[in-house]
Order: sequence, then structure tokens, then C-alpha cells
Amino acid sequence: MSAPSKPVPLTTVESTETSDSGAQTLTLSVGPQHSGSGHMRLIVEVDGDIIVNVAPDPGYVHRGIEKIIELRNIIKSIPVIERPSIIDASNLNHAWVRSIEEIQGVEVPLRGQYLRTLLNEMNRIMSHLYWLSIYGVFLGHTTMFMWPLGDRELFIDLAEKLTGARITYSYLVPGGVRRDLPPGFAEEAVKRTEYFEKRLKEYDRIFFNNPLFTSRAKGIGVLSKEKAIELGCTGPTLRGSGVDADLRKDEPYAAYPELSFEVSTRPDGDSFSRAMVHMDEMRESCKIIRQIVKKIPTGPIRRKAPIVLPRGVAYGRVESARGECSFYLIGEGGDKPYRARYITGSYRNMAAIPAVLIGNRLADMPTAWWSIDYWPVEADR
Amino acid sequence: MSLSHEREDDLVQKLKEAFPTDIKETNIIRRGRLEVTVAPEKIKEVAVYLRDKLSFDHPNGVSAVDYNRENRFEIVYHISSIRTKEMRNLVLDLKESVPRNAPKVGSLVSVWSGVENYERESFEMFGIQFDGHPRLEKLFLTDNWDGPPPLRKDIRFPTD
Repeated sequence: MSAPSKPVPLTTVESTETSDSGAQTLTLSVGPQHSGSGHMRLIVEVDGDIIVNVAPDPGYVHRGIEKIIELRNIIKSIPVIERPSIIDASNLNHAWVRSIEEIQGVEVPLRGQYLRTLLNEMNRIMSHLYWLSIYGVFLGHTTMFMWPLGDRELFIDLAEKLTGARITYSYLVPGGVRRDLPPGFAEEAVKRTEYFEKRLKEYDRIFFNNPLFTSRAKGIGVLSKEKAIELGCTGPTLRGSGVDADLRKDEPYAAYPELSFEVSTRPDGDSFSRAMVHMDEMRESCKIIRQIVKKIPTGPIRRKAPIVLPRGVAYGRVESARGECSFYLIGEGGDKPYRARYITGSYRNMAAIPAVLIGNRLADMPTAWWSIDYWPVEADR
Repeated sequence: MSLSHEREDDLVQKLKEAFPTDIKETNIIRRGRLEVTVAPEKIKEVAVYLRDKLSFDHPNGVSAVDYNRENRFEIVYHISSIRTKEMRNLVLDLKESVPRNAPKVGSLVSVWSGVENYERESFEMFGIQFDGHPRLEKLFLTDNWDGPPPLRKDIRFPTD
């Protein structure tokens, strides 16, 4: 095959500019096709191969969920609310029911609280595993794509036993949860978490202690503690910068006050730190799941809650897999909210994308960016 | 409920002492949830005071609410503290009201740089202008969107 007579135009190049210092920079459009970007676009300006500027361009998967919720009954909104992050559905669901219950003044029975926490922690593992598989494949490590997605089935099956659904459960309802534990669940959960912890050691061996990964992740995409706080970052992104903030400890909700676990932090703020926070959290979640099935009290799983949202305001928040997920909910006495402001972990961490990328090489972009665990659908809502 | 709100009362007290005329209204919703309404022209001063003197270093988000029956928008900054560990379970809603027919307020990006995206969203979804914002452009909406700001209350979906 003969070479083309003219150079093939690089369609992703938007323009070349000369900066004040005389250096020529190139503006690239990364995405919105899933080129390792997720369903969003980053407008990246490079000088040579150093990134000098980044502007996130989200909105490709925006669904107007805040408007949809305003027009629906608070119960009918539950499946809609899960959609932005189906891999972390129950945590988003929890933020919603928690804010409703704050306005209604409904107390959830303790067994219901334990069941909520159980599904939340299973979801955290599932979400982190999904993140890890994508992270692995971005870095060219095919095994780290296959293994986490395979092991994720362990928890998907477990969630199916509990809720009847594999991914989007609509399990949490105002006042409690929909279903009680099925027979034999505790033994199955212990077996699966113990097996999974062994697998995590293999992950360490093949990926996290592998120079192929560490040499690409350590010192790359550094986000300082001060910057992370000022930008309003949350979740593993904030904890990877050495801040031990976790709503499960700072504002304990559901069954978390009765469970013992560590908040995972790493001091360096680089891609490696953020990745390791995810790994640590999966280990802690396994411990929490085993504690729950051992300690879960008997009693009702649900208390009757009204289907209307009384006049009032709430800011209900939970620690989802990607950080704080919150609803600013205003009720006016009907069965629909007057306003339901929906702020997710990915939306908050969007502010960190330029901060971690600027100054790095273009080739380090996947390592730095995906370590934030930014989920475009969750950010766009 | 008989739970005491000492910490919240204390914050309200400090704010009222520092800004005797500019704090229009305060409301303790429940433990750890506090609303403070200020005059739009003073919000930046109050924000700087909250950040520098009361340790509110962390923006959790910004909400805009359309009260079309009262002909006003409300802009709510949800802020909290990370550095002061015992205050991490508290979210303060710093609120301001603007008339619906002239929705223009000062941006707080210079106080908390993290509010940039939220203010942009309030701009495109409600049509609120933030003076001094470094990049007041559409965020989620498509570039060719020329309809009205879609989250306003008087905008209806065909299925509504």
C-alpha cells in the first residue's frame, strides 16, 4: 500500500496558537467518543507534549434529572435517581431517601439501616471494581480489565439474592428497605468476601506492585491537600490527597456508627495514592459486610412512611463510591418536591480534572485522569 | 426534639455580631444544618468572613431555586469545613435572593474556586448572571441551545 500523497489531516486538532512567551501550543479535542474519556470531552492545550491547559466539556449524557424529579412522585423518582451511576445505584438511592426522611421525620428501624449499609458497601466494591477494570485497560493492562469485571460478578450475584436485581435495585425506600435477607445469605457473603480478599492480594501482585504501573502512577497528577479542599473535591480524590474526610465517620448515618472500619487515606495526592485508596476501601468494605451479616439485629426492615413530602428543606448526603452525594430537597406538602438539587461525587470532582492534568505529559493523561474515578453520567445527571 | 444546637447558635451569634445589619435571616433546620440569608451586595464579605474566620473552607455545591410565585430566585451556597474536624458534620447554606426579572449577583469564585462549575450550571439552567465569574458559559447544555433556561419553573416538558 502506497503512502498517501498528502498528510492525513488530524481531525482532532482544533487550532494552533502562539502564546505570549512565543511558544506554539496545540489545542486537542479528546472525546466525546469513548477514547478513554468517558462520554465527555476534554479540550486540552499542549506545548510540545506538556499539557498547559484543560477545559472539561461535559453534558453529552445530561438528562435533566433535576427537572424530571420535580415532575414525579417521590417514590417514582427512585429508579430515575439511580440512573446517573448504575454501578453505584444504592448509594445514590440512599442520599435520596435520606433527604426525604429528614423532611418527613421518619426513623428507619435498625435492621433496615443494616440492610441499607450492606447493599451500600457491596455497591462500593462493585463500583471500585468497575473503575479498576477501566483503569487497567487504559493503562494497557488487559488482565486488570478482565479480573475485576469477573470478580464483580461475586457481588452482583450477592446483590441479586438480596434485592432481586443485579445492578439497579431501587432497594431503599423511605422508611426502610424493600426485602429482608434471604436464607443462607450470611454464609454466602462471608465466603465471597473472603475469596475476594484473596483476589485483592493477587491484584496487588500483578498490578499495584508492578513497576509497569507504579512507574507510571507515582508522582503523576499531583493534587495538593489545600487545592483538593478549596476545589471542593470529595471521596477517594480528597482522601488520596491526605484528608481523612469520610461521611461514614464524620456524619455517621445508617448502621455505620455501630461498625468498625478505617478511613483510607494516602498523603501524596498523586495517581498512585488515589488508586491505592480505592484498593484499601474495597478491603474495608469486605470487613464491613462480614460485620453486618454477623451483627444484624432482628426486627422490622421498614417503617411506614407517608408518600407526601411535607413542607420543609433538607440537605441529605451520603458517602457514595465517588464521594459525597447530596440532595438539597425542598418540599411544599405535595407528593412531588418543589426543588431537588442533585450533586454527585463526580460532579464535584470535575473541578479537579484541570488541576491534576496541567503540567503533566499528554501520555500520562489516562493515568492521572482516570485515577479521579470521574463518571461522566453521574456528573451530568 | 430537645437536642441542643449550641454550635449552630454560636455560629449564628458570631455572624450577627460581625454583620449586624446584613444578615437578613438565620434558621437552624436541624442539627448540623443551618441557613443564613444575606443581602446580595454583602454576600462576598460574609463569604470571606466564613472562610477566613469560621473555617468554612470547602464548597459542597451551589443550588438555584426558582420561586416564580414570589418573583425571585434564590441562590444557595452549601459550604462546610474540612480542616476543623469536629465541624465536618455541619453544612451551612449561605443564601441570597434576587429579583426574577433582573437576576444578577456577584460570583464567589474568588472566595471558593470550587464553585465555578456550579455557578456556570445555575447560569445556563436558570439564566442567573454571576458578575466576576471567569468563564460564564454553558456547561451541560449544547452550544446551539437557544431555548429558555430549562430548569426555571415556568418551563414545561411536553409530557408534563
